[in-house]
Parts: sequence; structure tokens; C-alpha cells
Amino acid sequence: MNRRDVLKSAALSALAASVPLALPRWSMALAQDGSRIFTLAHPAGFPDLDPATSFSNDGAVLANVYEGLTRYIPGKDDAPATIAPVLATGWETSADGLTWTFKLREGVKFHDGSDLTAEAVKGSIERTTKIAGGAAFIWSPVTAITAPDPLTVVFTLSSPQPLDVIAASGFAAWIMSPAAFDKDNAWFNAGNDAGSGPFKIDRYEPGQRAILTRVADYWGGAPDGAFDTAVFEIVEDAVLDQSMIEGGQADWTYGLAYENLDALKANPDLSVVVNPSFETLFGMYNTKKAPLDRPKVRQALSLAFPYDDVISAGTSGLGSRAKGVIPSGIWGHDPDAPVPNTDLEAAKALLAEEGLTDSNLELVMTYATSDTLEATAGELWKANLAQLGITLTLQPMAWEAQWELAKSDPAAAQDIFVMYWWPTYVTPYDYLFNLFHSEEAPAYNLGYYANPDYDKMIDEAAALSGTDRTKAEAMFKEAQRMVIADSAAVFMLDKPNIHIMRADVNGYQDNPAYGHVVFLNELSR
Amino acid sequence: MSALARRLGYGGTLCLAVIVTFALLALFAPWLAPYPDQGMGTPNVIAKLKPPSADFWLGTDHLGRDVLSRVIFGARVSMSAGLLIVAFSLLIGLPVGLLAGYFGGWADEALMRVTDVFLAFPALLLAVLLAAALGPGLLNSIVAVAVTWWPWYARMARAEVLVLRGQPYVEAASVMGVSQGRILIRHILPGAARPLLVQAALDVGPALLTASSLSFLGLGILPPTADWGKMVDEGRKFFPDRWWVSAAPGIAIFLLALAFSVLGDALRDREGDKRRDAA
Repeated sequence: MNRRDVLKSAALSALAASVPLALPRWSMALAQDGSRIFTLAHPAGFPDLDPATSFSNDGAVLANVYEGLTRYIPGKDDAPATIAPVLATGWETSADGLTWTFKLREGVKFHDGSDLTAEAVKGSIERTTKIAGGAAFIWSPVTAITAPDPLTVVFTLSSPQPLDVIAASGFAAWIMSPAAFDKDNAWFNAGNDAGSGPFKIDRYEPGQRAILTRVADYWGGAPDGAFDTAVFEIVEDAVLDQSMIEGGQADWTYGLAYENLDALKANPDLSVVVNPSFETLFGMYNTKKAPLDRPKVRQALSLAFPYDDVISAGTSGLGSRAKGVIPSGIWGHDPDAPVPNTDLEAAKALLAEEGLTDSNLELVMTYATSDTLEATAGELWKANLAQLGITLTLQPMAWEAQWELAKSDPAAAQDIFVMYWWPTYVTPYDYLFNLFHSEEAPAYNLGYYANPDYDKMIDEAAALSGTDRTKAEAMFKEAQRMVIADSAAVFMLDKPNIHIMRADVNGYQDNPAYGHVVFLNELSR
Repeated sequence: MSALARRLGYGGTLCLAVIVTFALLALFAPWLAPYPDQGMGTPNVIAKLKPPSADFWLGTDHLGRDVLSRVIFGARVSMSAGLLIVAFSLLIGLPVGLLAGYFGGWADEALMRVTDVFLAFPALLLAVLLAAALGPGLLNSIVAVAVTWWPWYARMARAEVLVLRGQPYVEAASVMGVSQGRILIRHILPGAARPLLVQAALDVGPALLTASSLSFLGLGILPPTADWGKMVDEGRKFFPDRWWVSAAPGIAIFLLALAFSVLGDALRDREGDKRRDAA
């Protein structure tokens, strides 16, 4: 034990004294063989475990307890992304793309013993759309659901949408047992579940932990050495998460400082999985407030953004250049998009053209208080802008406050709104519609961008995406180039998806379509 | 020096020297810091997280900035935060205590119940709530701490006034027809203020600690201005592998807070001696 280890264990025991980490002993009592327990040091809590309304980190639990009709499998190397069957075994669509028929898997049982039937699927989706919370909007193209026989569900749509992709959504697409249709939100958040997945919720202590145990007769089977129990320890402090994974108290975590990854990679007990994510970081310019209502001024700011420095300083070089708002790995991503590179001279020239040389311009950038990457991006950008005579005020705010300010009067709101976006289900429309489609009252279009040509382009492309994917993709790319040409936002970077696991865990596959979800049934030790 | 040492004791003198050193560092930061632009926030990404070396005596932080320069510039924020919190608190607490103690009756009741309300909250918790409500920023965090701080001075001032009010020289002034305002300011305030000032000197340390706690929690000054509490927080993620990012500002907070406390103690001992002499 060298000095550093002594320091670490001293720090750890000090932390352990203050935080109840009674887990190892508890696990022992649960099962003699601790290797069958998978522990996740989960840096975020689960605000809503109701499968109809969950729209946050809850997916980490729900994706193991519930199942949807399909699942999105990301493309790997040259293989394109696919939609895999889960509760549905197959599906077909009519020529006009308006009728979708799903065949259901036989012999699937919910945790309460009832069978998976077409009525259960219909009822689950109807419960979700009736409550209309969370991500229920994904079902908005669906006008009717019928169940002609117990294992067939037919959806009628108002426009041709890719329903197989929608059904693979990580939110609002979970199928639940008919017994739960009349249960309220509180019932689910008390730790009850009504799923058909490989695990069921055994114990739930809000803000502390969720404990899942394996269901005996799961239809999908399990690999050799699969885990019987999964423990989600909610530990919101990244330093503590790191101690837990290094000390072997946890098997999986994420959200650690990028700067520490080299040391973690060198640790033979750990494996660090780095993948591109579907998360992109950008700043939306307030297009309704002088001087950012002028596209050239916005363009100058984008030219002053230190893209490479932010990737190297903020993500230790693991992030990648954003090519517009749709990250790589999602169809509609435009690898050749004409995004600006850092060029202070060109920025200076543009500002001079607009009569803004030495203007002592002051701009306010709002971002989330606790986010280090956003803060780093802001600090580096500020330094570059100072050279152009522009003062960038960095205003960290709690997310709710940041959002409220942006939704108020644009003339009094921030100049630059920084946030991440990731899709509800995997479609470019989700990014392009939410962020840049004109809105009467802004929800997420927080740069207040309004361009009727753009609106028309993406709406048409969305209508085509169920029938003519190639044409739709070309249109989405063109729409994205409109946003880039208008400099509606600065596309800072695509975030890497990094998960840290104990090296003896096998079978882990990262799936960026489902945030930080671990499909526990695929793992073994 | 020896006269000073006699007055304050060697510990007190040493602490005074530490405080004066930090004050000089704060005042002349742009000339003393090896990299003044980095001290003010200019990033230097190529040199990020370098260990201490001849070029960077205390290493560099996550944006490649010289930690020594940041600590020197951070002294400005921490010093002024500590002093301003105490000054603001005195400014509110002293008048409230004077009025309550001198006039008594319903004024006393009303003012002291308000003070009790503030005292009922745990100080740091109230400061965190206020700072969160006001939004981050140096002035906001100073106001937030001062609001939780003044009741102590109000109580102390009131207690002093209650004693002084019955003193023969005050009664004599009253009998001679001196106005109440004049009695309060000329005859009571000087006597009541002295122990309060000693207490204030003692409190600068805890005040700057509280201000640092707020910036540690992200409720203090806005980036990229250097602030010790914030620097400790930034470096926390890299601890202990890259200990210098947190350790340097942490040690600075420790030294300055300790110096103010020990100096305050020395002052209080002297004040006590004086009172005994007077008695």
C-alpha cells in the first residue's frame, strides 16, 4: 500500500462514516454468493417510476422491469442500426404507412402472473396517452389501436411515421399488466411494478436505493453466471461514485471526471467503456434580441468558439466535434455539415462588417449550475470573446430557473442558452422539431428561432420518414444546414458516453438510445 | 515589534503577520502573481493539470491556469468577503442592539423577536437558502451570510447597552438634559462598540469560511474569477491523484481563517485585561 492508497482509504473511511454504505453487509445477508449481485453506483435518483409518465433517469430501473414492443439496437462499425423484436415478434406496415400490425410473443407473463395479450398492449398505451404526462406525445400520430385477436395489435396512424422506432422509445412505450391500468402514480412510486421484464422491483427507498431481483420464469432466459440481484445505490457525488467502483463496492457507474479516466483505465480491475452518445451540447442564440438578431453577429460568435480546446479540456479529448445538432449514430447525422471552425480573425472581420469593433458588447450565457463541462466551455469561450472586445457573463443557474427565464419574454431573457439534448426516441425530428421549430410559447426552442421554410421542410420530412427514409434523411440534412447557415446556435460538441465497470463483468453493450440504461439480463460474472 | 509582541503575544503577532501578508498579496496581486492573466481567468489549456514545477510552483488547474496565481487573486475575494460580511453585519446588528437596549419596552420586544427568528435558523442553512434564492454572485453571497450573522451583534450590543444605561455617567448626562440621541451616540456607543469590534475581528475567520462554503457549493462568485472555495470544489474531483488543485486554496483558507481567529483571541484577552484594570 503506497501513500496514495493510504490517503484514499482514509478519505474513503471518512466518507463512509458520514454516508450510510451498509450495502456489503446487507448483500451478504441476502445471498451467500456475493458475485451474483450487481451493484450500480447511480449518480442520479429516480423521480418517477410510473411507466406512463417517467421521463428522466428512471429508465435505468424501468428498462429492466418493463419491456416495450421493440428495442433500438445501435449501429456498430459498418452495420446499420436495427429495431429488434421484444414483446412483438414481428410487424408489418401497409403500403401507405398508415396501418401497422404487430404480432405479439406467445407465453410472456407479467410479474403478477397474467398473460401478455393484445388488450394489455392496447390498454398500456391508452393509459399512457390518457395521462398524457412525460413523453406520451410520442404516440400522437396514433389515432386508433385495435386488438383483432389476443396476439395481434393494429395501430392506425394519422401520418406515416416509423412506429417500430417509436415503440422502441425509452420513455412512455412500456407495456404493463392490465391489473395496473387503474393504479395511480403513487402506487408505482411506492416501489410496485407491473412489468414483464427479467427483473422485478423488490425494494425501493426513494433517493437511497432500488433493489431488483430476477424473475424466475422470464421468457428470454439468461446467460450463464447472470446476476440474481441488482442494487441501484443512488450516490449523487461523483467522488464517492469513483471510490465505490475503485473499492469494489460497485460494479458499474458513470459521470466521473474525464480527467480521472486515464488512471481508471490503468487499473486492471476496471474497464472503461467509451462510446459516442446521442447527447449533444450547444448554445442557442437569442434571435429575438439585439445584437444577436443579426445572423452575422451570431456567426462571429460561433467562429470565436474554441471547439478543439473545449473537447480537450472539457472531455480529455474524448468528445467529438458536433456537426450540427444531430450526433453521429443517428440517421440524419450530416458528417459533412459546414460547421464553422475556430477563427478569431474571421470573427473580427465579421464584427467589423456589422460595425461592432470595440463595441464593449456584453452578453449573458446561462447554463446549469452543477455542470462542469458547460462551465468549462463558457470559460474558454469567454477568453476568446474577450479578444474581440465582447464580455461574456457566465450565469450558472438551477435548471428550473434557467428554463423559466428562457421561457419568459425573449427581450429580457438570456443571450445564449446552453443545454444538452438527447432524443426521446431515435429520430432526427425530435432534435430538429423541439429545438428549432417555431413556437408560439417557447418550450425548448429557447433561441426563439423562427423560419417557415425550415418548419415546412422538417414537417414534410417527418411525414416521409415512415415511407421514404432516404428522401426524409436528405431533407433533414438540408434543414439542419439552414440552421447552420443562419447560425441559430453554436454546436459545441457531441458528448462521449463513458461507463466504468468492474473488469470481471461480461456481456455489457452500451446502447445510447436508452441514456444510461444497463440491460441487466445481458450481464454475467 | 517587541511592543507589538507584548501587546498581542507572539502567536497574535505571527497571525497579524500572516493577515498582513495575505492583505498585501490581495492588494498587489497583479504585480505579485507569476501569471496575472491566468489569475484573472484566462485559460491555458495546453498546460492543464500539471503538477507543481519550477514554472508553476503550485501546479495548474483543469484549465491549465497557474494555481499559485489563482490563490493570490483568490485572496482578494476571500479577504473582502470576510471583511464585508462582518462590516454589513455590524452595520445592521449594532443599531438594532443599541435601540433595543436603550429604549427597552416594545421596541426591545419587537426587535429582539425579529432577531430570535433569524437565530432560530441554522446559520449556514439560511445562508445557503438565501444565496440560492438571490442567485450566484459575490455580493449576493455576502448579503446572504450577513443576513444570518447580524443577530449575534444585535444581541451583544443590546447586552452592553443594558449595562451602560444604568451607569452613573449616563444617568448624570440624562439629568443634565442631554438629548437621548446624543447620549446614545456620545456616551453609550463608544463603550458598547469596543467589545463588538473585538468580536468582529474574531468573526472574520468564520465569515470567510462561510463565504468559501457557499462558493464551494456553487453559490458564490461567478467564474472565471478565482475564489478559494470554488477552487477547492473544482479540484475535489481530481483528489487525491492531483491533490494540488484543491490543497493549495484549502491551505490558504485554513491559514487565513486560523490567523483571524487567533488574532481575535489575542485581542479579546487584551480587552479582558483592560476591563479588569478598569474595575
